[in-house]
Amino acid sequence: MLRKLIREPLIHFLGGALLIFAFFWATGSDRDPADYVISIDETDIDRLTADWKRNFRRAPTQEELDGLIDQEITEEIYYREALRLGLDKNDPVIRRRLFTKMRFIDSEATEDLAPTDAQLQRWMDDHPGKYALSPLYDFEQIYLGQIGNAAANDIIGQLTRGSRPDRFAQPLSLPAALTRASGAEIARQFGDQFAAQLQALEPGTWSGPVSSGFGVHAVRVTARSPGKAAALADVRQRVSNDWHAARQAEQKKKALSRYRSQYEISVAGRP
Amino acid sequence: MRKSLMVAACMAALTIAGCSENTGGDDSSADVVNTEYPEQVFWGDTHLHTDNSIDAFGFGNRLDAEAALRFARGEEVTATKGAKAKLSRPLDFLVIADHSDAMGATKAIMEAPRIALLTNDFLLRWHDMMNESDEGSLRVTSELIDGAAKGTLPSSLTDPEQSRERTADLWTKHGKTVDQYNEPGKFTAFMGFEYTPMPDGDNLHRVVMFRDGPKKMGDTLPYGALGSQDPEKLWGYMGAYEKNTGGKVLAIPHNSNVSNGRMFAMNKYDGSPIDAAYVKTRALREPIVEVTQIKGDSEAHPFLSPNDEFAGFGDAGWDKCNLSCTKNMPPESYAGSYVREALKRGLELTLAIGANPFKFGMIGSTDSHTSLATADENNFFGKHSGNEPTNSQRALEPQNLGTREGRFGWHYLSSGYAAVWATSNTREAIFDAMMRREVYATTGPRMQVRFFGSFDFTAEDTADLVKTGYGKGVPMGGDLSGGDGEAPKFLISALMDPESASLDRIQVIKGWIDASGKSQEKIYNVSWSDADTRKLGADGKLTPVPNSVDLAKGTWDNATGAPELVTFWQDPDFNAAQNAFYYVRVLEIPTPTWPVYDALKFSLTLPKEVIKIQQERAYSSPIWYTPSA
Repeated sequence: MLRKLIREPLIHFLGGALLIFAFFWATGSDRDPADYVISIDETDIDRLTADWKRNFRRAPTQEELDGLIDQEITEEIYYREALRLGLDKNDPVIRRRLFTKMRFIDSEATEDLAPTDAQLQRWMDDHPGKYALSPLYDFEQIYLGQIGNAAANDIIGQLTRGSRPDRFAQPLSLPAALTRASGAEIARQFGDQFAAQLQALEPGTWSGPVSSGFGVHAVRVTARSPGKAAALADVRQRVSNDWHAARQAEQKKKALSRYRSQYEISVAGRP
Repeated sequence: MRKSLMVAACMAALTIAGCSENTGGDDSSADVVNTEYPEQVFWGDTHLHTDNSIDAFGFGNRLDAEAALRFARGEEVTATKGAKAKLSRPLDFLVIADHSDAMGATKAIMEAPRIALLTNDFLLRWHDMMNESDEGSLRVTSELIDGAAKGTLPSSLTDPEQSRERTADLWTKHGKTVDQYNEPGKFTAFMGFEYTPMPDGDNLHRVVMFRDGPKKMGDTLPYGALGSQDPEKLWGYMGAYEKNTGGKVLAIPHNSNVSNGRMFAMNKYDGSPIDAAYVKTRALREPIVEVTQIKGDSEAHPFLSPNDEFAGFGDAGWDKCNLSCTKNMPPESYAGSYVREALKRGLELTLAIGANPFKFGMIGSTDSHTSLATADENNFFGKHSGNEPTNSQRALEPQNLGTREGRFGWHYLSSGYAAVWATSNTREAIFDAMMRREVYATTGPRMQVRFFGSFDFTAEDTADLVKTGYGKGVPMGGDLSGGDGEAPKFLISALMDPESASLDRIQVIKGWIDASGKSQEKIYNVSWSDADTRKLGADGKLTPVPNSVDLAKGTWDNATGAPELVTFWQDPDFNAAQNAFYYVRVLEIPTPTWPVYDALKFSLTLPKEVIKIQQERAYSSPIWYTPSA
């Protein structure tokens, strides 16, 4: 019985009509009279004229202008009819285009005035690690070569018992001593690995072996002044740039989560 | 109609984009103290593309100049395809060098209101392709590069007059960002652009960089190759800039390897033989050359230097056809494509004309189109956003760009950086060091290379090499003359990069003009690791350094090389009557290439032809010897 009904042309026809009705009902084509008003005002005509002038380097004749206006009207009519038919839906180009526009509008909103010192200071206080001045080291080092830990420990033992460092120093074009050097300055010359090990060394005595990309070193830290927070004046430009960049990123994120919170989102397979 | 639509579209896109105000730096570096002589080497990239380059954007890059600057100075950023990106060590300076032609245009086409393009089929098609998918965007870029090579791009893209307004807006905004991130003494951000002439697909590209900030540059706009493909026109633009503003600007040729013999040709753009005026202008405008970068290495080629067993580095994939791969390059063209040969031609021209158009210092740079200046093998973000590290197949994918012949991802080098011996980290000091060529190139590792020449050095002078070097001699990039017939002497040192590999050897490469007027070259091994076991053969060749690379782990053993090499060297084959140059090549021990790290990360099996082990290197600027008149 059901199978027979499905093959019935009249049912096809009625079903189709129902679908069309449902479409217009669902897309809310409850005709707003304003939708059928097209007015080309002075600004539109000025814009059309200006476009023409840029191209032809002269004003359009009346006939040419009428042509442009008619074209504008035709375009607008087809545009609106297309919207009525829902042709803007499920179009990947339009979808991507509107996405880009929204992102633009949101990033526009983040452009604002120069931050005050108080704002920058607060930003610094919130990110103490980022602007902390590294501890400063005074240290001497000798390069022991590409030798193993046992041999290095033996040399360091002799150094602590008073042997002269130059007996063991292998030549390498790195400073034998640095004063008030920051972590970054040390890393620049000796590499990150070396710089990271200084923190743990006991001041005043030869210690190590401290390894670097070059090999191993014996190091005597003679002074260490602890790291501290930077003053705004010293790092103002960087702080201001970071503040701007972070603020833009944050506002973008905020805008998205504001929209997102209004949606109920479910993904198959995702809890 | 087509032309005006493009302009309208671009303007419309721009009105949406606001401008951020400038809170930071200006033109002044007055507070920074310069050292007496260059004590420190500064590392940078002079050749980086952001989303303002038409091809970079087309390849999908969505990172702007600000992201590029933040990344270069050591911040973490998120790459276009989502990977977190951070340099192992910050750079000291950066030149953002976006293509001047149609700067910002792909961005504008994509972001333009579609209705503004409706009657322009050409641009509309691109607009839709770009908006539809990443693949579409890639196809547009291929068509763009192809169209530029064949000269078939629409005039709305190629006519500088039509894009003037858009460029001026964009350039002003760019200048603000660059100034904002220029921190004299800490990080230097340069103004610059890339001039991109490509006649028949032959690469004649130059990076143009300014010593000055936007304030002094005034209303100077980037010069486009679509205006003229003749580099002499660019030099004219540079001359006019210096005259009008009192500023300074230099140009850096690059990718001579895909110029089909035209970058260092013995004739002008129009085919006529080069003359004194050309030679003098070029010498003035182009003091340095970019010798190594992602699209291959241009130092030397085995065809030109059959006795150099290291000449083939970075040549694979780049020596068969020109940039667009629309023309094959016969080996006979190589002499105009590789820098060593250009240096030799320069000597010949010195004799013939009395000036040297190819008196180049050497730097490396990335030419990255991802806004990310990476050159480390284990942290390589690719040539363009289509081959960022999230793409597991990037090493093996063809990179045809819509042309007919195969280049593959693995042909790209994770290279290189510019090393500059300057007296401070400022626009002025770095630019001036480039003008005097006190610079060198590396393929990525940051080894420290010193090279001094003099007639007065002694072997003992290596003890205090830098001080004696400056005191009694000239540094790399300098000139020697006179000497009363005595052979020039050199102090050379190379310190390994503590974050990279130890050193195999230092070589001196000499070029000279023989008695018959022909240029010659010879390579001297002058210092090497394990000198007690590795000996020179009768042919001057050295036992190769052991290969310690473990491909299954991506590691190597630094104990197989030297942490530092220092030497005094005097030319044993010197003839005081013959013009000559000397430059230094430093080789690291063998290490894995970037595809090896990809293979480990993604469990790939790399085909046999993929180069997996290489010796990274540094090239110093030469020191030239000229007989006294």
